[in-house]
Amino acid sequence: MSWKPGRRLLIAASIPVLAAPRAGSAQAWPSQPIRLVVPFAPGGTTDLVARLLAAGLQERLGVSVVVENRAGAGATVGSESVARAAPDGYTLLMSNIASHGISPSVYRGRIRYDAVADFAHIALVISNPTVWVANPRAGIRTLADAVARARSPQGLDVATSGAGSSNHLLVVRMGQIIGKELNHIPFRGAGPAMQAVIAGQVPMMSDSLPSASSHIRQGSVLAVAMAAAQRHPSFPDVPTFREQGFDLASESWFGLSAPAGTPAAIVERLNRETRAFLATDAVRARFAELGGSAGAMSPEEYTEFVRREIAAWAPLVQASGATAD
Amino acid sequence: MDLFANLAHGFAVALTWNNILFCLIGCVIGTAIGVLPGIGPVATISLLLPITFGQPATTAIIMLAGIYYGAQYGGSTTSILLNLPGEVSSVVTTLEGYKMARRGRAGAALAIAAIGSFFAGTVATLLVAASGPLLTQVALSFGPADYFSLMFLGLIISAVLAQGSVVKSIGMVIFGVALGMVGTDVQTGQQRFTFGIPELSDGVGFVSIAMGMFGIAEIIMNLERPESRNVMSGKVGSLMMTREEFRRSVPAVLRGTAVGSVLGILPGGGAALSSFGSYMMERKISKGRHEFGTGAIEGVAGPESANNAASQTSFIPLLTLGIPANAVMALMVGALIIQGIQPGPRMVEAQPDLFWGLIASMWVGNVMLLIINLPMVGMWVKLLSVPYRHMYPSIMIFCAIGVYSLQNNVFDVYQTVFFGIFGYMCSKLRLEAAPMLIGFVLGPMMEEHLRRAMLLSRGNWGVFIERPISAVLLGIAAIALVAMLMPNVRKGKDAALQEGG
Repeated sequence: MSWKPGRRLLIAASIPVLAAPRAGSAQAWPSQPIRLVVPFAPGGTTDLVARLLAAGLQERLGVSVVVENRAGAGATVGSESVARAAPDGYTLLMSNIASHGISPSVYRGRIRYDAVADFAHIALVISNPTVWVANPRAGIRTLADAVARARSPQGLDVATSGAGSSNHLLVVRMGQIIGKELNHIPFRGAGPAMQAVIAGQVPMMSDSLPSASSHIRQGSVLAVAMAAAQRHPSFPDVPTFREQGFDLASESWFGLSAPAGTPAAIVERLNRETRAFLATDAVRARFAELGGSAGAMSPEEYTEFVRREIAAWAPLVQASGATAD
Repeated sequence: MDLFANLAHGFAVALTWNNILFCLIGCVIGTAIGVLPGIGPVATISLLLPITFGQPATTAIIMLAGIYYGAQYGGSTTSILLNLPGEVSSVVTTLEGYKMARRGRAGAALAIAAIGSFFAGTVATLLVAASGPLLTQVALSFGPADYFSLMFLGLIISAVLAQGSVVKSIGMVIFGVALGMVGTDVQTGQQRFTFGIPELSDGVGFVSIAMGMFGIAEIIMNLERPESRNVMSGKVGSLMMTREEFRRSVPAVLRGTAVGSVLGILPGGGAALSSFGSYMMERKISKGRHEFGTGAIEGVAGPESANNAASQTSFIPLLTLGIPANAVMALMVGALIIQGIQPGPRMVEAQPDLFWGLIASMWVGNVMLLIINLPMVGMWVKLLSVPYRHMYPSIMIFCAIGVYSLQNNVFDVYQTVFFGIFGYMCSKLRLEAAPMLIGFVLGPMMEEHLRRAMLLSRGNWGVFIERPISAVLLGIAAIALVAMLMPNVRKGKDAALQEGG
């Protein structure tokens, strides 16, 4: 990530100028429909949660909140469109681990937005751990089994939903720790990868908990290890990586952001409404079922969180070789 | 009889007033978006998803499923009337369907598309109900090597699609494969041939190519030749099928249903291959094969049946494994999850209302679509008598709106313009678009499966002949290739083609 102080200064300086003429309209905000850009194709976890959030915000703000899917290039196409939109509180983005954590390193130098400075980050919406699952007949019940398989001449195949995802990077990290590269088998999305694991073509998969949770509950795959600091409340029987001797955690996340320069009052209101929505029992129950946890960060905390994530992923992206140079 | 008891239960669910109403709404919306070029079921379903939040899960999924197969029905209409395919499966329908329309047989083509689809839908629905879980095993037994060989076979026989020179069609297949390589490499995440344009990082848009190469190019051609425009509006022809046409369609519909039912089960690519596989089959073995290229009714009846059968059986992996076969299915999983239902093997026991209700509603939806579509045939055909000077600007506008709505991105509209001009040049050079599109669709899938198979076998090529499914498919491909390359056989083919077109 190359920082451009000049540009940041310019943006900082422009905030009052942009905000001033809009002060009147900020009072009346929201008075027209709000666009919520999802930088992924419809159907994924982000898209689903965005639609739930849109419905919740619509009710609380009294105007329609329309989800717009703009997929492409590791979620950077949609994110860039929001970075360039008018900072009037009517264009919002589902910022996420891809567009604001990993892609800045993968598309280094070619990405046309600054994941921190070009956005007013509003709130973390959901975060969920990565889980490693195995085909029940593969003979892998613990990470020790997996490591033994990886070190055997046969090697260990691990499927993921795609190269450069946080699930893939966890496979890379595990390989670095045990000193033996795992045979990464990327698929086009989590669905086909899971099917290959259920069919026994690939013994193991590194997947996000929400997309794996139903298959774990049904017993079609076996949960081997949860990449989280603690055991997950919805899956208390699944031990963590740390419990099995590997100090690894991997959480994917997404949140709500707006273009930089969005008036502070709007950001504050959106943060309040989002957190109130996330705190409802219905949402908590639904998120728990999916295997995610609802966020409760202030705009400042979320901005700091994004900044830390970018720094944390950069060396791993380098190691994985998944850069789009 | 368990099956009948279950189906009866399903019909009891599907035939409540509320569910009938939502099934009808789904079918009508589906037909409408199918007819509007470019606006696909994915965009529509994602837009309508919030409406279903307030409904029970069964009702929601019945409506979404209605949109899905309604769009399949509607999509054939524009392919036949305007040479405008919106999806992979309708590309094949344009080949004979549009030719039929130009001969004044648009009514017959539309009618057989609807009737064939209905028959195929009925058979496939029964198949899903009777042996869904069993068929899941078929889908699971297909590994990467087998998929590769299936796609390879498809690509080899796609040269048969050529209506002119075989060399030119092979060239177009290869060009299509090359176009398919544009975008992010699945294995490494590297950008390939994107020239630094972020919009290309997910590849060239299929709908843009299809609209441009078929629809827009055809408009330019028609504008160039005033006489061909008048031919269109002059000959509306009789709406009904002749007895001869009906008799010829029956075996094509049966074969198409079989091909579609089997291929639809395979997630990713199966459904795309079905209509095209059926077209090949009809072209080789149907009684009317000499008419292919000039508007043979078998070339509409077979692929349309195959396509609808596949869209029903593609529910099998979703219902039995909880794994979506395509983007529309992924949205349905989303809709179910929002409703708090986890799709998967336990759904049959845990949600019998949903499972059997959905299956019954598939059939109810097919009946509705037949009722909606057959009387509309007359209206659609009348559309052809609209003066071309009014017609073509509206087609272009709808295309632009449809293409834009895919990603909400103007870049896709530019792509369509580019491929429209390119398609026009190809027509002038007698290069055919269909083999190129097949190459574009199959090429990247083939590459993906090849590389995955090689990763899993640690670089051992033997895997393609060690696996029985793969070995059989490659064997058929080899025979097809030899037959095509043997000079005397080829001469025979060329002669047959000259006779036909």
